[in-house]
Amino acid sequence: MSVNIFIMKVTFPHLGSMYIFCKAMAETAGIPYVLPRPTSNHTREIGEYSTNESVCLPLKIILGNFVDALDQGADTIVMVGSGPPCRLGLYDRIIKVVLTDMGYSFRWLTIPGIFNWQALLQNREEAKVLRRELTAGNYFRFPWAMVMGWKKMIWCEHLERTAAQIRAIAKNPAEVDRLLSQGLVAIDKAQGVRSLSVAGNEAIASIEGVQKTERTPLKVMMVGEVYTVMEPSINMDVERRLGRLGVVVHRSSYFSTHIRRGSRLDRRMLKDRQRLMDMARPYLNYDVGAECNFSVAETVLGHRQGYDGVVHVYPFSCMPETNAATVLCSVSKDLNIPVLPVVIDRQDMGLRIDTQLEAFVDIMTWRRQGRIL
Amino acid sequence: MASKSNEIFLGIDVGSVSTKMVVLDADSLSMLDSLYVRTYGDPQASMRAAMIRLSNRQPLPVVRTAATTGSGRTLAGRLINTNIIKNEITTHTLAAVKIMPEVRTIVEIGGQDSKIIIVRDGMAVDFAMNTVCAAGTGSFLDQQSGRLGIRVEDMGEIALSSNNPASISGRCTVFAETDMIHKQQIGAPMNDIVAGLCRALVKNYLASVARGKPITPPVVFQGGVAANKGIVREFQEQTGCEIHVSPYYGVAGAYGAALLASMVKTEQPAFQGLELSGKEHRIKSFVCKKCEESCSVLMLYRDGALLSYWNDRCGRYSSGEVTYNPLVTTGEK
Repeated sequence: MSVNIFIMKVTFPHLGSMYIFCKAMAETAGIPYVLPRPTSNHTREIGEYSTNESVCLPLKIILGNFVDALDQGADTIVMVGSGPPCRLGLYDRIIKVVLTDMGYSFRWLTIPGIFNWQALLQNREEAKVLRRELTAGNYFRFPWAMVMGWKKMIWCEHLERTAAQIRAIAKNPAEVDRLLSQGLVAIDKAQGVRSLSVAGNEAIASIEGVQKTERTPLKVMMVGEVYTVMEPSINMDVERRLGRLGVVVHRSSYFSTHIRRGSRLDRRMLKDRQRLMDMARPYLNYDVGAECNFSVAETVLGHRQGYDGVVHVYPFSCMPETNAATVLCSVSKDLNIPVLPVVIDRQDMGLRIDTQLEAFVDIMTWRRQGRIL
Repeated sequence: MASKSNEIFLGIDVGSVSTKMVVLDADSLSMLDSLYVRTYGDPQASMRAAMIRLSNRQPLPVVRTAATTGSGRTLAGRLINTNIIKNEITTHTLAAVKIMPEVRTIVEIGGQDSKIIIVRDGMAVDFAMNTVCAAGTGSFLDQQSGRLGIRVEDMGEIALSSNNPASISGRCTVFAETDMIHKQQIGAPMNDIVAGLCRALVKNYLASVARGKPITPPVVFQGGVAANKGIVREFQEQTGCEIHVSPYYGVAGAYGAALLASMVKTEQPAFQGLELSGKEHRIKSFVCKKCEESCSVLMLYRDGALLSYWNDRCGRYSSGEVTYNPLVTTGEK
């Protein structure tokens, strides 16, 4: 009888540049992984075909990512889940059921959105199996893997923030996007801390070195549901489209923000969270769930920090953000700050989104300068 | 009105259902001509029709500046070679403010979009568009008039003749149609059904497009649907405001675009629209295999010569970084 050495292969969904973080962790810890192909229309189609039509777009796309990875030989799915009341609370479980129905066999590991006892219990069975497969070497290298992943993530986010600033004033915004994707690849490839900081610094310098125009860009805060804010292929590239219209986009959600908020380790972040909840207080007296309260709070924050407007992105049928959208109507009225709701659904909506964004930029320009030309 | 020069400002609005063109006198900004033709899914052909109309004017006008708007604005802008390509919301605002400077709310219902624009001191300050559903827009009226066997132009008059509109749900076109068929089958008179449809559309507009935005007078109503008197009556009844139908309601977007063209002070590239009628224009496409996105990139040819690219997400073709090479890029259609 031959000994069946089973080597697990981990996979994870795409969420902006998060894959670089996950990849770095898996690589450094020596865990084999499969990276799903970048999200494309094909991914979207897989998701649409296999789910109920009223399910929100992020779920469909993440399902598509998983199908893609499983087809390429992955057998262990790792994803972040969060608690109710958002569908996200059952998000991971829905995907699990759908994939099982589709005939895939796999193991599932939910990284809890908030680390608590319930989360530990939820993953008990899977953790038992996984423990047997991970080698001592994996365990030994894991702390270092965390450090490496974290560092790469911070670099990616720094790069994305810089790109958002420069894109709005660049003579050729497409150039910035090209340098950004080059920089992300370089960060992804970097081995070790030193080559990482070289790659990161080079990328930042190249983006900052592009030809610029004289214009003073508008500043917009982008709030909304996490997946939609973070993944450009879900939000139809809202950030880039705005950047090309000459708007600096400040994104509310970065992956590190959520890890810091969820892990509850960072004291400062906890305070920050409380501060945001208080800001939403005049409108929302309790935590609605997911990012609803934060969307409202960040709009208030945007007003206080002198932003020209707020873009609120969320998937069609998203419960917490639909609540937020209604609240934002009165926030917008009270604080006199323009808020643009962008509802994302599966239709090919590029044209409509362009129209809305262009008009929104016109309105902000009008408010600022008193004319549009 | 006779003008000293034959210079004009041109505004073109390529919408989902119709293509509109407005010709303004360059000196007095008075409207010399306007055209409204159906797009019939072929914006190129409707643009050509507009350009033929323009080239038939005597004396042949000299276009000082041209601007395009509407959902087909980018294509239209490429065809006539202009950089002034503006979204419908801004152009509609300009048009409404021009005819009524004190306007505070603009209701615009077109072929596939419906919008509300809140205006203060002649500037748009807020707007909303219908989100994922086209219920309550012109194309639905169009489709239903076809099914009922009446002309869409007559719908308003028919609706006005009813004092007892049938109750129809306007939430969704599918439900609305089911309701209408049900009312027909139980024998409700045609005018009641049409009036009920108008009522449902306005209700849906107020609930899902205007959603919470204040409708304060003066209100200007623009877009093709403003021709429907039944809808106008319903708006008046449901909002309690007097509704001013713009004299240029059908071509308001194009009118706004022409006004915008008149505001531009910078030098613009030469107008090439008149060549549309003579020369052969073709659009080809190929699927770029550079990445997983598989964009279908479009190319415009005039008399066999390549003019420009668009529709590539990364911009490597449209920015001029690379050119199309059939030997490298496969998948041309």
